[in-house]
Amino acid sequence: MVSVECELLSNEEDAPGHYVMALAAPEIAAEAQPGQFVHLRTPRTFDPLLRRPFSIMLADKVHGHLRLLAQVVGRGTEILVNTPVGAKLEVLGPLGTGFPLPTGDGDVLMVAGGVGVAPLISLADALRGFEHPAYIRGLFGAADEDMLVCWIEFAGRCDEFYVTTEDGSAGERGLITEALAQQLDRGQAAVAYTCGPVAMMAAVAQMCGDADVPCYCSLEQRMGCGIGACLGCVIAAADGGYLRVCKDGPVFATDRLDWEAILSDQQ
Amino acid sequence: MTSSSPDLSLQIGSLQMKNPVMTASGTFGYGVEYAELFDMSKLGAVVIKAATMKPRVGNPPPRIAETPAGMLNAIGLQNPGADAVISEKLPQLAEYDVPVIVNLSGESVDEYVQLAEKFSACGQVDALELNISCPNVEHGMDFGTRPELTAELVGKVRAASDLPLITKLSPNVTDITEIAVAAVDAGSDALSVINTLLGISIDVERRRPLLGNVTGGLSGPAIKPVALRCVWQVYEQVDVPIIGVGGIMNTRDALEFIMAGASAVAVGTATFVNPTASVEIVAGLQQYFAEHDLPDLGALVGAAHP
Ligand SMILES: Cc1cc2nc3c(=O)[nH]c(=O)nc-3n(C[C@H](O)[C@H](O)[C@H](O)COP(=O)(O)OP(=O)(O)OC[C@H]3O[C@@H](n4cnc5c(N)ncnc54)[C@H](O)[C@@H]3O)c2cc1C
Ligand SMILES: Cc1cc2nc3c(=O)[nH]c(=O)nc-3n(C[C@H](O)[C@H](O)[C@H](O)COP(=O)(O)O)c2cc1C
Ligand code: FES
Repeated sequence: MVSVECELLSNEEDAPGHYVMALAAPEIAAEAQPGQFVHLRTPRTFDPLLRRPFSIMLADKVHGHLRLLAQVVGRGTEILVNTPVGAKLEVLGPLGTGFPLPTGDGDVLMVAGGVGVAPLISLADALRGFEHPAYIRGLFGAADEDMLVCWIEFAGRCDEFYVTTEDGSAGERGLITEALAQQLDRGQAAVAYTCGPVAMMAAVAQMCGDADVPCYCSLEQRMGCGIGACLGCVIAAADGGYLRVCKDGPVFATDRLDWEAILSDQQ
Repeated sequence: MTSSSPDLSLQIGSLQMKNPVMTASGTFGYGVEYAELFDMSKLGAVVIKAATMKPRVGNPPPRIAETPAGMLNAIGLQNPGADAVISEKLPQLAEYDVPVIVNLSGESVDEYVQLAEKFSACGQVDALELNISCPNVEHGMDFGTRPELTAELVGKVRAASDLPLITKLSPNVTDITEIAVAAVDAGSDALSVINTLLGISIDVERRRPLLGNVTGGLSGPAIKPVALRCVWQVYEQVDVPIIGVGGIMNTRDALEFIMAGASAVAVGTATFVNPTASVEIVAGLQQYFAEHDLPDLGALVGAAHP
């Protein structure tokens, strides 16, 4: 983990309100594991005050570059995506506990919702690099065709790829959970990974649990320090306590979490 | 630049600090979290997260809400309990050449006394900071808002421990100097001024408070003028060292606190924004004192007072 100033190498809108930002961050890229994140400071100001967490979408260890996918949802992300290319950003990372890699045989299921595709791309990329690459079945759900952000980066790293959109503008019309049900029915899945809206991940967790397929999800929470010190980013654990999203996660085995509490905290 | 380097050391009872910059409780975990990023032994002291007698799971999330130039937190004193802090957390800190101050939070006078005895006996801490100002738990501020309770608590803890005693004051009072005087008269060796200000943030989409706990403590640059005012007022009423806390982001902020009457400063929220803020302030103070030919810390403490 390092705290460094990184040059913004490129910044391109991939889908409306979604930007792919490349940073020169050799120390972070070298260490990064799939599913880890970085904590970015909006350029030198105390308002907005806190850093913003972003999953590492791709860590190019050869060139020392990081790729992030940022969706504009508020003031902080608005400022970040408007940072001019060539400017420097303060970056802390790589942070958190990423995805455990599959150990046995069998297929890998990846279920992405919207911008949640980012950490799954990093995972698929890492699995591709294996001597015996896992067989990846990727599932991507979005509201409409426009919101299938970075789908080419995702699809290109999967062996099979399925898309659902709520309005039917691309792929099957419907929810990604319907596509997941079909995939689980096929059997052969050794493990599932998911990232997307909480309601989607809760459903994926439930379905994988019922099918006895171990499942890992990448969660979000508002953060202070990003490194495990402030206990600000917790999420309800199945055992009644709390887990830190920034340190114990952001990736968790879905059966370690109290989904009922997590869903009700969101309402 | 002068050739001799200025003396920024500071003594609070038996607590010897090489410089006046410390971490603020709850913002620096148990120290080790930041060990990868900088050398903790460069700090004057490390103040660790509040310890309670029994383990506490803390408040439901969300626990953090950003506000204009500040943040609200409602952690709810999550910690593994005094015994686990002593057996698991403190030994990791012992490797570093830096004084350790433990922040204590009790539900009763008896509990504060037990905590003080436990931590004094463990031999791993250099001073106690009494948190009588936590806004995020029920009754957390009682001891910090009523001078007679402050006096009773500080007096009993004083009798139970030989360690230097720092009392951390709440700004959520009508007259902070009443509490300050009560704590000092009862034997407090120093005062930390201030803890967070009580606040609320509302999510307009959900039409509900943003924090799981409804209220939270406001910290960061937004509270700096309030904290400075509190330090200023307390400095005029007491003769013990004051540790200025509240919105200190950089060297300039730290200097303001020292000139308002603080002998030391604690860096809190700034560490989230810039993890190395505290050590940068140590270097910045060294430079300011050298450039202005100030021989020691005392030359600047309270300098802004008429
Ligand atoms: C581990 C992790 C990885 C993430 N990865 C990505 C990513 O790859 N791409 C991406 O676009 N976003 C990602 N996020 C979410 C991103 O951090 C937030 O969208 C961002 O902080 C919002 O900042 P803002 O100032 O634009 O919004 P604000 O104005 O602060 O808030 C707007 C909305 O964003 C939500 N929000 C605010 N802060 C956070 C936060 N820290 N975490 C989650 N939601 C928040 C709030 O619910 C609010 O409704 C990730 C979050 C976490 C915790
Ligand atoms: C996340 C968080 C947790 C805190 N926990 C404690 C605590 O356990 N005990 C305590 O005395 N103060 C606690 N505080 C208050 C800080 O120590 C400090 O007094 C306050 O944040 C003001 O300083 P700042 O503006 O520099 O952060 C906490 C503050 C924050 C932001
Ligand atoms: S953000 Fe501070 S512990 Fe996770």
